[in-house]
Amino acid sequence: MLIIGILGSQTLTKDWLETGFLALLPISEQQPDIANATRQHSQLLNRKMVWLAGAASSGQAIAHAQKLKQQLEQSPLFNKVVLEVPRQHYINQYRQLFPYRYQLLDAQTQAMLAKNPEDFIRQNLEILSSPFGQMQAADLERDPSLLFGRYFSAQQPIKLNVEQGIVVLSDQQQFWALLLTDLHDEHLQLDKLDSLLQRVNDASGQIKADGGELLVSGMALFTAQGAQSAKQEMSTVGLGSSLGIVLLLLTIFRSFRPLLLALLALGSGLLAALVLSILCFDKIHILTLVFGASLMGVAIDYALHFFCDSFDDTAWLPQQGLRFIMPGISLGLFTTLLSYAGLGLSPFPGLQQVAVFSAIGLSVAWLTVVLVFPLLLAGFRPTHRPLLLKAAAYWQQHWPLWLLRHKRGLGLTAVVFVLGGLWMLTPRDDVRLLQSPPAELTRSADKIRQLFPMSPDSQFFLVSGQDQADWYQNEQRLLQRLETLKQQQALGDYQGLSRYWPDDRLQQQNYRLIKQQLVDFGLLERYMNDLGFDQTAVKTELKQFAEAEGNRLTLPEWLAAADESKQSLWLGCADGSCQSTVALMGINDATALAALQDVPGVIWVDQAGSLSSLFARYRVKASGLLAIAFSLALAGLAVKFGWRNSLSIMSVPVAALAVALAMIGWFGQLFSLFNLFALLLVLGIGVDYGLFFFIAGDRRTGTSLGVTLSALTTLLAFGLLATSSTEIVHAFGFTVAAGIVTALLCAPLVGLKNT
Amino acid sequence: MLIKALLLFFLLLDPSYADAVLAQIAARLVKTDITQGDFHQQKQLKVLRKPLLSTGTFTYHQSKGVIWKTQTPVVSLLLVSGSKLLTGQGEQAVPAAFGKVFKAMLGGDLAALSEGFTLTASDQTTAWQLALTPKDEMLKSVIGTMMLSGDTELRQLEIRETGGNITLISFDNITHPAQLTAEQQADFERLSP
Repeated sequence: MLIIGILGSQTLTKDWLETGFLALLPISEQQPDIANATRQHSQLLNRKMVWLAGAASSGQAIAHAQKLKQQLEQSPLFNKVVLEVPRQHYINQYRQLFPYRYQLLDAQTQAMLAKNPEDFIRQNLEILSSPFGQMQAADLERDPSLLFGRYFSAQQPIKLNVEQGIVVLSDQQQFWALLLTDLHDEHLQLDKLDSLLQRVNDASGQIKADGGELLVSGMALFTAQGAQSAKQEMSTVGLGSSLGIVLLLLTIFRSFRPLLLALLALGSGLLAALVLSILCFDKIHILTLVFGASLMGVAIDYALHFFCDSFDDTAWLPQQGLRFIMPGISLGLFTTLLSYAGLGLSPFPGLQQVAVFSAIGLSVAWLTVVLVFPLLLAGFRPTHRPLLLKAAAYWQQHWPLWLLRHKRGLGLTAVVFVLGGLWMLTPRDDVRLLQSPPAELTRSADKIRQLFPMSPDSQFFLVSGQDQADWYQNEQRLLQRLETLKQQQALGDYQGLSRYWPDDRLQQQNYRLIKQQLVDFGLLERYMNDLGFDQTAVKTELKQFAEAEGNRLTLPEWLAAADESKQSLWLGCADGSCQSTVALMGINDATALAALQDVPGVIWVDQAGSLSSLFARYRVKASGLLAIAFSLALAGLAVKFGWRNSLSIMSVPVAALAVALAMIGWFGQLFSLFNLFALLLVLGIGVDYGLFFFIAGDRRTGTSLGVTLSALTTLLAFGLLATSSTEIVHAFGFTVAAGIVTALLCAPLVGLKNT
Repeated sequence: MLIKALLLFFLLLDPSYADAVLAQIAARLVKTDITQGDFHQQKQLKVLRKPLLSTGTFTYHQSKGVIWKTQTPVVSLLLVSGSKLLTGQGEQAVPAAFGKVFKAMLGGDLAALSEGFTLTASDQTTAWQLALTPKDEMLKSVIGTMMLSGDTELRQLEIRETGGNITLISFDNITHPAQLTAEQQADFERLSP
């Protein structure tokens, strides 16, 4: 313990907790390119938050937003709060790109020029004579053909109304002023998430008090809500279960000693597991911690079994007690370790960590019970007969007999029940089930997406090429296909660099197109004369056009002038490969998009989707591992007691597993990779129950109390998780509860003949 | 001109008097759901030696918006509501400079106009005049003043941009039908989301 304590003081001060999902996956599952692009994409997504202040008039909406901006600017959470449209940025952008105006054409203008340049001229007249054409008309001196104006406005595919320099959106009922923020950190600490939620609630309350409405969305908000509800649940569940366990142990033993000793066994096990696992893996994942700690629930069996044995002998001595329970708890530990060894062999780092963590924890807890308990239990000899002991004694005598008397009917019912449940068992592996956001949050996120459809979805395309030219060609091909899908409404919109930046060849082509269609046959000259331009203006324009022939806008130059959201699409060129991402908005048909992977150099990245399918694959694999764990435990026990006895002991966890699965099926509960961890816990505990009864001999009363107490504490600790609103936590608790109750009901059947 | 300016100056000194004039003008305007008529637009652009002329028809509907149909020099259709602008080039952002007040102007909705503009009014026996100066900084950089004049109807609209361009629109043959034609209805249909 001392060593562990010293080691712990060193290891636990390091940064040892891993929270990213990718860390759970085998190395081969993460291609570095994709992982890198995903990181960049989600980094941007995680930091963005969209706020819409709504009111009956746009003036009021803007007033709300301005107040909101002041509040948010005072908060240290945000490093950017943007309300006013950055005009200067657009002015600079205009200046930087303007010299290349004969090289830059948007797709629509390109098509129109190629098809019929007269249409282009007609459109110019339409724009200029429109009562709304002030801006374009004001630009006529610089841009007589309005070519650049078209390109520049096509850079923003979605047209936003701006009032007082602020974007104002509207639906039928209300006006909404748009405010965008960037969070300081991509991954906020828990306390910061709390203060973020507090901020949002405060702001929302204030705007509501002023008669308006606030909509907020952002990844961080989902995380914050999840963390908050988890924390709330954990504290209620945790408080409930600890109180329950403390009260239970105190009433049974009427002494603090067993309680403190049980805590000592669990605590030392947990600490050792944590420290040694970190030494072993360098960093452990938060899920390892959660599931590893859960699986350690088996350890309390050893302690309880020890204490309960004291009721079986009026002249009980700890050393004697230990001698009696030693085979049971040692074999229990051995079979459990054997079954966890199966997990350790899997290629899933997450499972390996869980296996090592729980194995160490269990072993140390066992050591504590075996080495420390006899000393600390000296003089412990309860003289009372707790009510539960009497109940357990009565129950273990009569219950198995009743079961045996009705074995035909019960057996048939059980078989039908289990088969029916298994038949209805349907796996659901959607990773999104890990989060169960409140409906209100989802609603405002949907509403915002509808009003302001510019936030990219989490799925995206990764486009690569051997060099820039190759990359450009690949992305262009992808964008063409995306345009078709957009027309078919498979998605709202897409953002790719090559939609706005023409490469060398295309810039040349654009120039040639303008030359052939507008300049060479005098169309531009005629148009300018007809409009009433000076001769000098016409000459200047033609001269500027002629001089611009060799102009080329390189990608870095274009990027330097672009918006942040476009800059982030470019991943750069390195090691003979150039890469970019294509962001997608408003995805309706992910399958159609995923099919575009056939475009050369294009990879469809759907982190949630591939994680879900990964979960599905590992659910199947882990099921296999669970079967192996059962077989190993069975074989281990067979070596010691022979096949018949081994089968009879193992029938307890097998029945528990079957009933737990059937219950999941009957109640339509979530069945995924995570339930299998619950089943592992059921296996460990079920084996213990079977074993304890098998070797109980004439001490069945104490054993029965031990098993009942263990089942009650496990139900308090894990069964209460079934009350969680997070679906996987709930499913975990449900599975454990169903399994443990079954194991408790079946265990007294074991070892009956020995009496 | 000088007298008029002086008059405006005195009017400005007394806000309650200005409000009273506004109320008088509003009272004179014919208030119906639908207004339609012809327009003649003349744009004087600084860089062009001659004005850009266009003619066509307009329809104003109190709740639906405006149909602006240009017949010369090119046939084109423009539809605008408070938050949406549809042109031959598809859906456009409604320019802050003008979009919001366009409908209010055509409908003589003085209350809506006074939200974003400083209004100065003069009312004579035969005609009234209204000058609008934007309050908003960004708008000010584009629009100098807008002058509205009329009698029981809005007859003329003049927009003076800060860059020197001037747009003059005059309205004729104004009528107030009780119902929209099928064609007008179909056009407005395209504006609804």
